[in-house]
Amino acid sequence: MRATVKGRVAVFHPQGFLDGNNAPSFLTMDDIKATESLNVDMLLVSLKKVIFFNKNGLDVFIKLLISIRNQKHIAIGLCDYDHKKFTTISAFYGNTLNFSLFLTEKIAELFAPSNKNDSKTVLLFNEDPSQRSAMAIELFDYGHNPVIAQSKKEFDEKKQNPDIYYAIIEDTYLGLFGQKIATRVTGNAIIYTVANFLDAEIGNTFNIAYHNNSLNVGFRLFIFDAYKVVSMNVHALNFFTKLASSAAEYNASICFVGLTFEKTPQSFKNDLEDAGMMFFENMDDILKNKELLQELGGSAAVASKNVRSLNKALVNELPHFIDATVSTIAMMTNAQASKESMNVQTLDIPNSANQYASSIGFYGDVDGMIILVFPKEIAKKACELLIGEATEEEEAILDSLAEFVNIIGGRAKALLGEKKHHVDITLPRTYSDVASLMEMAQNKKGVQVNLSFEGSNFIFFLTR
Amino acid sequence: MVTPEQITHYILNIPPAPTVVRETLQFVRQGDLVKAAKCAEEDPALKLYLKTLVNRPIYGFRNEVHELSQIFGILGISTAQQILYHYLLTLLVPKEWQLFTLNNHTFYDLQASLSRKWEKILRHLNLLDHDTESAITLLPASIIVCDALFGGCKIEVAQLRSVKALDYNTILYRLSKYTLFDICTLIAEKWEMSPKIGHIVYASSGSSQSAEGDELILAKWMHLLLFYELSQSPYVSAGLNEFIDFQIEFVEDIYESFMQVMEYHESNC
Repeated sequence: MRATVKGRVAVFHPQGFLDGNNAPSFLTMDDIKATESLNVDMLLVSLKKVIFFNKNGLDVFIKLLISIRNQKHIAIGLCDYDHKKFTTISAFYGNTLNFSLFLTEKIAELFAPSNKNDSKTVLLFNEDPSQRSAMAIELFDYGHNPVIAQSKKEFDEKKQNPDIYYAIIEDTYLGLFGQKIATRVTGNAIIYTVANFLDAEIGNTFNIAYHNNSLNVGFRLFIFDAYKVVSMNVHALNFFTKLASSAAEYNASICFVGLTFEKTPQSFKNDLEDAGMMFFENMDDILKNKELLQELGGSAAVASKNVRSLNKALVNELPHFIDATVSTIAMMTNAQASKESMNVQTLDIPNSANQYASSIGFYGDVDGMIILVFPKEIAKKACELLIGEATEEEEAILDSLAEFVNIIGGRAKALLGEKKHHVDITLPRTYSDVASLMEMAQNKKGVQVNLSFEGSNFIFFLTR
Repeated sequence: MVTPEQITHYILNIPPAPTVVRETLQFVRQGDLVKAAKCAEEDPALKLYLKTLVNRPIYGFRNEVHELSQIFGILGISTAQQILYHYLLTLLVPKEWQLFTLNNHTFYDLQASLSRKWEKILRHLNLLDHDTESAITLLPASIIVCDALFGGCKIEVAQLRSVKALDYNTILYRLSKYTLFDICTLIAEKWEMSPKIGHIVYASSGSSQSAEGDELILAKWMHLLLFYELSQSPYVSAGLNEFIDFQIEFVEDIYESFMQVMEYHESNC
């Protein structure tokens, strides 16, 4: 059984009965290897379709999860259960419970980084005050707005208005959390929350893959929210210096906010400034200052000042990327997309109204980015297989569009792999309107292929 | 991936029930097992199948049974009808499974195991008759159909499933508006099975709203039995656990009774 990956969260979905006899059969050696190579921040087992489980059955999965957590410092746990199952699991593991429990997959996703800029208001309650605080802090660090009920009575009252909350968090438990530095997106900036004493461990807890992904998909401003940092040592200093050098290649800016130098040597600040890092006292000094934000790259229009040009290696692989796109559309719709025209140019979208766009980056032996721009109806049609029933809900369509480009990225990766070119793909990004895409892509030169599908045109754009 | 044209082509190519099997079935339904045995003698493949199947350990006969008249006599009307339907299904079984990591022995074990447990369930529910007993024989047809339709696009399905936990039945429905159970019903019609068999198997998908009364009860038990079996190690390893969507809500009210009938004890595992 393979885990499905949505954003930075991978989930196993066993069905039926899960006991000590059958559980090992769910995970072959290949499955374990494939899981170990996933580039995710959270690995879960969903119990939504499991009608019976016992501790022996769960232990088989938990053993794998713990071994992966030990290697990769990711969050692990179980999700999608009801109150009865939650009580049973809690009883099985008691005080030894060292993995997380999330009532739903949707709740779990709130505790993982994404590249979406959407703060969710959630209602939160846990009998255990330390769990309550830990969850609130994590949610806040991931950019959400937790409303914390201090008592069961208050929680039950607030629960009466479920519509005002994105999710209601109960029967949830954070076990050995904080394995990774919390990450959130604000506008075009990525904010990492760091705390306490920063030492060599930051190399494990900082999600370098996510950071590289973000650079590759066009983010240019990275802020370390360091209000809670007590001090740092020379190992952490080296880490940040290297991070600054790699960011410089992309013309990206890295800032520290709220870092004090009472217990950290002042010379560290000078070294970091020399490497290109900037220091601010308050987050609003950056986020509320539009001019500064633009200068730092928090507005993507400026990010494209230093445009990376197309290269031969990338253009050579163009047929693979087009193949991956066309074959994915054929797979998902049973209809063929055909090539109308192809030019080297900047992205040109003739009719920008009513279009959705999506992008996915790749890096490794070749690097670049695929951008797809669809008329909304065509996007819906292309994603019908993933969406299921007809929906007009934009968030659902954009989520499916992200899954759709993820498949394209996966196919392109496989096709390149056949030619012994190794690439990794980034998280997909979706745009509900063309304007926000153009902020990021307007000056980029690339290969624009106009494709025709079911009588409408859509755009494939390959760039760096 | 899978087109409606491919499905139509697949349905058109389902072989009709061979004359000997049809006639044998008629004699069985009439209760004339002697004539049924004589008729079955004319088809060497059927004869070999019956002998091999009945002598498998899962049927639990102590001594090897040779003669068809003996076999039919031991089996009785309901089981003989069921086994003839099993035989029909072997006409659809692929020489080589492509999608699922199955071989024919594992598949026949699944058929036999489902049948034995189904009989137990029917006795518990007091709903045992020739048609209800035979209904279970059609259920594995959904696995054969799934392998036939998706076997050629294994990689594409894996890529799709890497981003969304979709079962094969849902993928097929979204692509073609056909479900695996629609196709099973068409197979039942083609083989002139009792309509009741088709209805029960169709409802056992758990997504049909049309069943009621005894058919609904049987559909729920069949759905849970299917997942009970598909949770067994050999079938999990074969990839069968993911082939249709398990509808927990559909079977929740029969779960406790099911566990008692199956004598499933947590302490054993």
